[in-house]
Amino acid sequence: MIEQFIKSVAAAAATAEKIPSNADSLNEALVRAAGDGGLIFFAAAGDVAPELFNSFRRSERVITEPTVEQMKTLKVGVTDAFCGIASTGSVCVTIGRSLSGPAGSLTRKHIAVVDGSTIVPRPRDVFSEEFLDGKGLRRSFSFITGPSATADMGPLVRGVHGPGKLHVIVLE
Amino acid sequence: MSDSQAEIHPREVANKASKESLQKAIGMALRVESDALRLNTQSFNTNRYSAVGKIGDYEELKDRARKIKEESIRDLSQLIDRLTRSIEARGGKVFLARTKDDATSYIRNVCLSANAKLVVKAKSITSEEIGLNHVLAEAGIDVAETDLAEFILQVSGEQPSHIVAPAIHRSRERISKLFKEHFNTDKPLDTGEQLTEFARDILREKFLAADVGITGANLIAAEEGTILLVESEGNIRLTTQLPAVHIAVAGIEKVIPGKKDFGTFIELLAASGTGQPLTSYTNILEPPLELPVLNLNGREDKAREFHLVLLDNGRMKMREDNDLREALYCIRCSACMNVCANFQTVGGHAFGGECYTGGIGAAWTIGTSGNLADGRFAELCTGCSRCVPNCPVRIDIPRLNSVIKNRLMKSEGGASLEKRFFAGFSTLAKFASFAPGLSNWINDLPATRSLLEKFAGVDERRPLPRIAGKTLTRKYTDYRKKIKPPVTLPDSTLKIVLFPDVFMNYQNPDVGMATVRVFEKLGLPVYLAEVMEDGRSAQSQGLLESARRSATKAAAYLAELVDDGAEIIVAEPSVLSMFRSDYEKLVGDGELFVKLKTHTYDPIEWLDKHCNEDSDFLKKLSDRVSGARARIFYHAHCQMKAIGAGNAVPELFRKLGLTVDTSTVECCGMAGSFGYKKEYYEISKNIGRDLAQQVEKSTAGQGGVRVLASGTSCREQLRDELGRRIGHPIEFLAEIMGK
Repeated sequence: MIEQFIKSVAAAAATAEKIPSNADSLNEALVRAAGDGGLIFFAAAGDVAPELFNSFRRSERVITEPTVEQMKTLKVGVTDAFCGIASTGSVCVTIGRSLSGPAGSLTRKHIAVVDGSTIVPRPRDVFSEEFLDGKGLRRSFSFITGPSATADMGPLVRGVHGPGKLHVIVLE
Repeated sequence: MSDSQAEIHPREVANKASKESLQKAIGMALRVESDALRLNTQSFNTNRYSAVGKIGDYEELKDRARKIKEESIRDLSQLIDRLTRSIEARGGKVFLARTKDDATSYIRNVCLSANAKLVVKAKSITSEEIGLNHVLAEAGIDVAETDLAEFILQVSGEQPSHIVAPAIHRSRERISKLFKEHFNTDKPLDTGEQLTEFARDILREKFLAADVGITGANLIAAEEGTILLVESEGNIRLTTQLPAVHIAVAGIEKVIPGKKDFGTFIELLAASGTGQPLTSYTNILEPPLELPVLNLNGREDKAREFHLVLLDNGRMKMREDNDLREALYCIRCSACMNVCANFQTVGGHAFGGECYTGGIGAAWTIGTSGNLADGRFAELCTGCSRCVPNCPVRIDIPRLNSVIKNRLMKSEGGASLEKRFFAGFSTLAKFASFAPGLSNWINDLPATRSLLEKFAGVDERRPLPRIAGKTLTRKYTDYRKKIKPPVTLPDSTLKIVLFPDVFMNYQNPDVGMATVRVFEKLGLPVYLAEVMEDGRSAQSQGLLESARRSATKAAAYLAELVDDGAEIIVAEPSVLSMFRSDYEKLVGDGELFVKLKTHTYDPIEWLDKHCNEDSDFLKKLSDRVSGARARIFYHAHCQMKAIGAGNAVPELFRKLGLTVDTSTVECCGMAGSFGYKKEYYEISKNIGRDLAQQVEKSTAGQGGVRVLASGTSCREQLRDELGRRIGHPIEFLAEIMGK
């Protein structure tokens, strides 16, 4: 299912990688995906085990409580996701008490971390009690499928009001 | 022609209550918008076919979606109560607005009490319906449309031309031109990227300063009070997360029982709309959100606020109306527009009203405005039915439009001469066939053509159908005098009956005779049924009572034949689709309809079916055509595709070892009488050229390609474009089967 998910992420014009599920590997992958310089807006809803972000959270580039000014200008956002969808390559990001909503929508690049064991076959499965213990039925969230895009100006353009780049890190 | 040269502004002709405004809108759309429309809608259309093809249980999902919508509309009052309780329990507010004024005053008051100066707004057709921006502007509140298409329209002052992509009528070049004229800027505005970046920067400032966010809703789950909002740009995410106050405005028909039902709709909606597995963002929101107030605008709002404005504005009346109720099942995906050849050509500025567009648009326009004449653009629905199998909630859109045409006609004092002329084709053809040579000669006289144009609306430029020298009935009788039917095997109960529809009988008897010859060469005797009206011509003019009378008579007659063991062959697809689809509602007798539906066939479809069931039959046919090595270009009739018989010709001919290319044009644009009418001639020709270009592309450099089409009007359209006679596939088969 992870392989199908990664293929679908690519088909949705995003990128994905699979890494071992530990704090150091995740830190390394996140810093690499975030690219050079600049602060990183990090907000997690607790959907991926919080201790996995321990190394990353200590990095001086990482901002977890941005000021209003920082929120307006941060270019890279990192969030967790409570599940992935194999058929579409979507990640489901919670919009709850944490700032994971804004971190994934105000920035130019969004990096989402998803636990490989939470990948479900189809979008509709998120609304079923059988999958994820019915988690999808009890929260506000967005299915995020590739970068923000528009064809309103004629040709297809990626990166509109939301991030123009989406990278997904799958924890195995 | 450039749109700055005194061209009509789409707003001037947005309301189609008068025939003149419909005519002007068509002219404007053909001159200014057609190229961008065709490119963009056809791209949505192609993507849709590919996306729905990937949904393994597409048909089952459609059945479920239809059922959920039917039940939701039935139980609407209880669902609204349930929804109100769920949202109020979370601290949100629900306002049931009976009229558009109720809705706009409520929203204005919420904005004023929030001391709002600036509202960011996501795309919402419902907000267009209530004229919200105007009301807010009058109250001194700035509204920023944040969907890029709506942003373009806010600059151009145009109404939406499509319910999903409201600026689909504008090419990149026309957007560049508009922005350069409107904005005083040095920034480059010559590519999609530049235009997007430019608009994004302006709107980002608006998002950061906004006091209130307004959205629509794709669906609302009553049980949990959850709203579904589908988008690609990310503007809905910012509209719902940044300002502390969120107002959602939606029609009451958007309410469905529970969040579990979203599972049925989200894949259907994305695939049917933009042709994607899912759009970039499918937002599932239970506002007021738990997300802390961000106050990026410098305000000190303490808590999030949520208002759901549920709009009636005529919907409850539509619910009571046995015909218009269907429209309430619509989930606004736009598949019916993208698949429609007329819509691809003129878009929603002509085939649409002030906010609702396309085939489904007329029902919505009259339902919400309360004015029947506003739905006049229903005339642009030719009944081709390509939308029917592509609608995710199985709405019979052509029927809705027939009903509207019928009501409109009655309200305007009965059928016009033009409508009666086209509806009465069979009677005219019958008279003409007494002296076909004379009739054709008279028809061709300039004086006749000019009179026909003046009084019956038949465009002078369109060649009239030729009345055949002998009707099929006479040809068949002559043939039978010479050739006895083949002997049926004693134990066979199979009886092939050819239905001589009026088109075949008076115009194309050769198609009928080819059918007789092909079947009889295969040892199957063919009997000829009586010539009778089937109701197609009347129905397409909106003369439903007349259509119903013909249908009732024909159905009873055909059912008797079926009871006697007959398989009925119908060579004209528009008539076949009456028996297989339209009669369900016209005749209203379920049992009778099923009898016709399961025993009527296109001739090639019947042969293909028997080749699949009986390998000896296939061998017999293959042996008869061995040696034929033709290459074929085939255009399937729109209604034949709609009833699921569109692939029969390529499938049979490929079985017989022939090479077949097919057109992807949804409908030839002639659509029975449509292409003859003066008002619609240009649209029809425009579509005909699209089809002819495909034929030319496919046949270029391939000598001896045979162009075939099943429909009478498709053949006329193609003959007109290509300048040569086009055959029916059964004629071609008769030809290659030899003596």
